[in-house]
Amino acid sequence: MHTDSQHYTVGIAGAGLLGRLLAWQLLRTGHKVTLYEAGTLSSPACAAWTAAGMIAPMSEAVVSDRNVYEMGLYALNVWPQWLQALGQPDLYQARGSLVIAHPQDNAELHQFAQDLRYVVPDTEHYRPVNGQEIHELEPDLGVAFQQGLLLENEAHLDNRALLDHLAAEIHRLGGQCIEQCPVRVSPGTVRSAHGDEQFDWVLDCRGLGARDRHPELRGVRGETLVVHTDEVRLQRPVRLMHPRYQLYVVPKPQQHFVIGATQIESEDRSAMSLQSALELGSALYTIAPAFAEARILEQGVNLRPAFMDNQPHITRTEGLISANGLFRHGYLLAPAVVTQVLAEMALGAPSPFAHLFTSTSGGISR
Amino acid sequence: MQQPQADELTLYGERFNSRFLLGTALYNSPELMRASIETSRCEIVTLGLRRQNPGNRDGAAIWQYIQDSGCRLLPNTAGCKSVKEVVTLAEMSREMFDTPWIKLEVIGDDYNLQPDPFALVEAAEILIKNGFKVLPYCTDDLILCQRLLDVGCEVLMPWGSPIGTGQGLLNRYNLRTLRERIKHVPLIIDAGLGAPSQAAEAMEMGFDGILLNSAVAKAQNPPLMASAFADAIVAGRNAYLAGLMQKRQTASPSTPTVGQPFWHQ
Repeated sequence: MHTDSQHYTVGIAGAGLLGRLLAWQLLRTGHKVTLYEAGTLSSPACAAWTAAGMIAPMSEAVVSDRNVYEMGLYALNVWPQWLQALGQPDLYQARGSLVIAHPQDNAELHQFAQDLRYVVPDTEHYRPVNGQEIHELEPDLGVAFQQGLLLENEAHLDNRALLDHLAAEIHRLGGQCIEQCPVRVSPGTVRSAHGDEQFDWVLDCRGLGARDRHPELRGVRGETLVVHTDEVRLQRPVRLMHPRYQLYVVPKPQQHFVIGATQIESEDRSAMSLQSALELGSALYTIAPAFAEARILEQGVNLRPAFMDNQPHITRTEGLISANGLFRHGYLLAPAVVTQVLAEMALGAPSPFAHLFTSTSGGISR
Repeated sequence: MQQPQADELTLYGERFNSRFLLGTALYNSPELMRASIETSRCEIVTLGLRRQNPGNRDGAAIWQYIQDSGCRLLPNTAGCKSVKEVVTLAEMSREMFDTPWIKLEVIGDDYNLQPDPFALVEAAEILIKNGFKVLPYCTDDLILCQRLLDVGCEVLMPWGSPIGTGQGLLNRYNLRTLRERIKHVPLIIDAGLGAPSQAAEAMEMGFDGILLNSAVAKAQNPPLMASAFADAIVAGRNAYLAGLMQKRQTASPSTPTVGQPFWHQ
């Protein structure tokens, strides 16, 4: 139980991105943390492991709303600081992202720009680029691309390395990690096969695993490919606009690339469909024909936890805070959600996002 | 003044007050989709199952959410390219949603998603024999439409233009011909509409209803666009019922001009 008013005992259910970030933040400030994970920390089943790790407030605003954009801008500030604090600043790359379309699909590009102006009329962090500029930015892209948009302040990070470093740091700071241990939570209590544990605070970060408390959560299937090739170099994430599917390719260390992602309203966790493989593969091939000889290392399939408004929700009762529903925006929204959760525990600075979480949609309910 | 009479749309013996059918795909969130269904005042919504592994009910969460809107569900066969695929998916959706209604789509071309007219007639015939109420998404070709009626379709849904293009009514001659020749079967314009004015135009031409998805779902404010289409569809329908004036070459003042010598008029 708690030692003094400033130092809590905290049980965290779920060692996905949110669970790890919260554990790390709390351990850094002297709290005592126990982190429960239904799987293992080294190869977690969480959506954050499958994700591409983009910090793309503008691109994601187009498929969501202004709230996501605001929280995304905050993420652009916070991630470099956090990675610095983790001693891993190189995991973060701030080189913008490039949005392109084939000439016959330029209407999709114009629609994207129009939607972007509608959601964030006040941003100046993007500009149209022509074929020559595209070639200068990304020489290995196919020659057919004559129009694009450079979203200058977007970034991406090496998400798997980040998850590993967070786990290592949690161990180093004395956090207790209990793996292969599915749990149920209630205010102040974490219940597992080992019995009940009492804490000052329980943080429920179980994603879809939290459906016992949030029956309105749903999973949205996403599929990704991880490929390797030495023949293509990309400096930044590239998004391809297409009438039927919108796909991105994100460069990773060791010449790996993550291509994603399908978005299917289904809770099917079975292997990638042939149709999705064809869509992802052919989009990749048209972005740069040299990808034809890339080797497919992995097919990723996961379910994004989402509420019906596709917005993150934080709910608090005394002794229990639940944070969930980051949908397709895990890395983009995690800094805002973590800050809000800490503020809910009356720790750290006041959250600049209290107003976003107190609206009727996407809100804190008490 | 005469009020517009009770004006219902009858499809397979069921009567509807709304002439607007809305698709449930492509919204930024399910909540926005539901808000759009409400402002559209529609009574029928379509939903696609093709990629949701329907046999395992993997899309159940979203289906239930759509069902809770209170609208009649019209499952579609979007994404199917062969008669066999269509029949299998239709059987699954009938079982799952407990409805014999099916919006029949058989895609013949990957790029413009044009319906395959030959497979369409074949699939419609099989499904109708198996007890389905088929609402076929077809092109505006008169002979195709007649063949679909021959095999037992009681409503036809010709395109305005290819799915998702927002081009409006591309072939007015064909569409007028359809309306003139097929008088007693409901004709619903399905696909290709981008603006409420296009929907109003189709309704003014005497079409019985409008089915669309992208124009609402991809609007920056989908619920507002849904209500704009709903208003346009009512306006177009009322204009059709009221009887449009004929276009003329000579101006005809609405206020009679007095004192003007008639040889100058």
